[in-house]
Amino acid sequence: MGAVKQAIPAAIGGEADVAMDSSGTAKQTSPREILPIVEGVVLVAALLAPLLLQDYLTVFATRVIILALFALSFDLVWGYAGIMSFGQALFFGSAGYGVALLARDLDITNIFLVLPAGTIIGLTFALLLGGFLLLGRHPSSVIFVSLGTLTGSYAADRLARGWYYLGGQNGIPSIAPMSLGSYEFTEGPAFYYLVLGILVVVYLLCRFLVRSQFGLALAGLRENEQRIAFFGYKAQHLKAIIFTIGGAVAGLAGSLYAFHEGFVWPNMVGVVVSTQVVLYVLFGGSGTLIGAVIGAVIVEGVSFWLSDNYRDIWPIILGLLLLLVILFRPLGLISFVLGERERVGSFGARPKENVKENVKEKRNAP
Amino acid sequence: MANAFVAAFEILSFGAIIVLIVLGLGIIASMMGIFNFAQGEFVLLGAYITYLAYAKGLPIWTGMVAAPFVVGALGFVLEALIIRRFYAAPIVAMLGTYALGLIIRESVRGLIGGFYLTVPEPIGGSIDIGAMHISAWRFTIIVITLLVMAGCYLLLSRTSFGLRMRATLENPSLARASGISTPLMYGATFAFGSALAGLAGALIVPVFSLYADLGLRFLIQGFVAVMVGGVGSFIGPVAGAGVIGTLSAALPWIMAPVVADVLVFVLAIAFIKFRPQGLIAGKGV
Repeated sequence: MGAVKQAIPAAIGGEADVAMDSSGTAKQTSPREILPIVEGVVLVAALLAPLLLQDYLTVFATRVIILALFALSFDLVWGYAGIMSFGQALFFGSAGYGVALLARDLDITNIFLVLPAGTIIGLTFALLLGGFLLLGRHPSSVIFVSLGTLTGSYAADRLARGWYYLGGQNGIPSIAPMSLGSYEFTEGPAFYYLVLGILVVVYLLCRFLVRSQFGLALAGLRENEQRIAFFGYKAQHLKAIIFTIGGAVAGLAGSLYAFHEGFVWPNMVGVVVSTQVVLYVLFGGSGTLIGAVIGAVIVEGVSFWLSDNYRDIWPIILGLLLLLVILFRPLGLISFVLGERERVGSFGARPKENVKENVKEKRNAP
Repeated sequence: MANAFVAAFEILSFGAIIVLIVLGLGIIASMMGIFNFAQGEFVLLGAYITYLAYAKGLPIWTGMVAAPFVVGALGFVLEALIIRRFYAAPIVAMLGTYALGLIIRESVRGLIGGFYLTVPEPIGGSIDIGAMHISAWRFTIIVITLLVMAGCYLLLSRTSFGLRMRATLENPSLARASGISTPLMYGATFAFGSALAGLAGALIVPVFSLYADLGLRFLIQGFVAVMVGGVGSFIGPVAGAGVIGTLSAALPWIMAPVVADVLVFVLAIAFIKFRPQGLIAGKGV
């Protein structure tokens, strides 16, 4: 008996050491400190970007920030709950189409109306699709959910292409700019900071969410769904909730994107954009919110940079890199600087090293 | 009457095309548990090889014969190098094969540009039955599909190769204990599935012209067909492909094509939701 009791704290201690080692540079300090540093660096870089970039690059950077917001929505769903949503563009695009129709047919461009409207559209579609795919008497298989979302996105693409009211192949062009009173948000630094502000707020909300007990239950779900179910969580409900939240965030991103680009077209709901967002998150590192943001920035940035000279071979390079990441860095680029423990997160106060020593001594004493 | 016959023929020939495409996908999904996102690109490669033979001035049928072998060989190599690492995790396999597909698709796009290239039918003209004319090539596709289907069935159910393949896929450790080289069997199965995709691509390229997104168009339909039919057997995906192919060709005759297109997917997903095991449940051939 005594041997068993001693083995347990030893095992816990050993695990902690491994986690420390895997985080590389953080051997001396607590491994928890890297994530805030990465987040801070990204935030400062994002705040300074419009001051350093030329005007046309600021427009590009705005698009990247919106796509990062979109990537965040996919990361919530896949990185935290392990739901492979191959149809995230469905929520992104349908919200884009929704606000485009509001602007075109009802002349509603007020920012306080269109952004919530887009969010609600994304949320509703995600609730419907997620509820249908995820809930039910029998838990759905992962394969079914991923193919179901993919099919949903593909079907929406076909519908948008064929429906005259939605503009068919051409989509809806020249959407009026978003407005606040008499001020109109056009491309440029103001729009950039608006989008960045929204991204930061949503990021913080998501961060709070995934570091809450709910988020930890989700992480458990991703690692071992059955065990979480045995603990008494309603795994399917958790999945449906996070799927809906992801849809709402994607809807917000989609409505911003529609107003920023000034038009929506069928690809926006289709498989192309759906897989694009998967690329962002896999590159950056799923299961860390900042990884999704970094992934979107890197993929879009490099593709923008290469598109002048290497437009044709860039997708091939992208495919090769993706394959390498999947094979050798399944946790994405962020895993070069971030340890496994920090990725999952923890709940409550962390045991201090010296406290653990005391515990060991106490148990060894009798 | 003549109209109905033509409609029936159209439906049948599209059904045959979908079955042909799903055969390889279904074998890989059922026997290996991998949903191969690169399958559409194997179809594309088959089509591209046929086009190459045509562009070089060779008879088209040489390209059609070569396509399954070339694509099958490529499948064997890819399995040994990459796919093998994915067996433990089906979702990772999806993403990995998606990346592979992306590489192949974009390479082909780079080679052919953004064009739609046409390849003539090796058997042109039409078959006349009374006042009705049906395309000879489409008829040939139906015949070849039936032959390939029968061939696959016999291969899996009647030969010792098929027996070893099924043994490997059902219980790998027992198969190894019985002296079967399981890595080789996995490789052979994947190569076989890829070869079927290559053949499908070669046969359909005269009907749909060659363009880089040719495979993508059929991939999702193929996946839906496999799920509807039921993963785990040979006959399940084939049945599913028959149903999906027939529905997607038949519905546009009675309603607007846009609605029909979407309705097929909605019906299929709803069906899978309430009958996850598919039309034909169970393992085996």
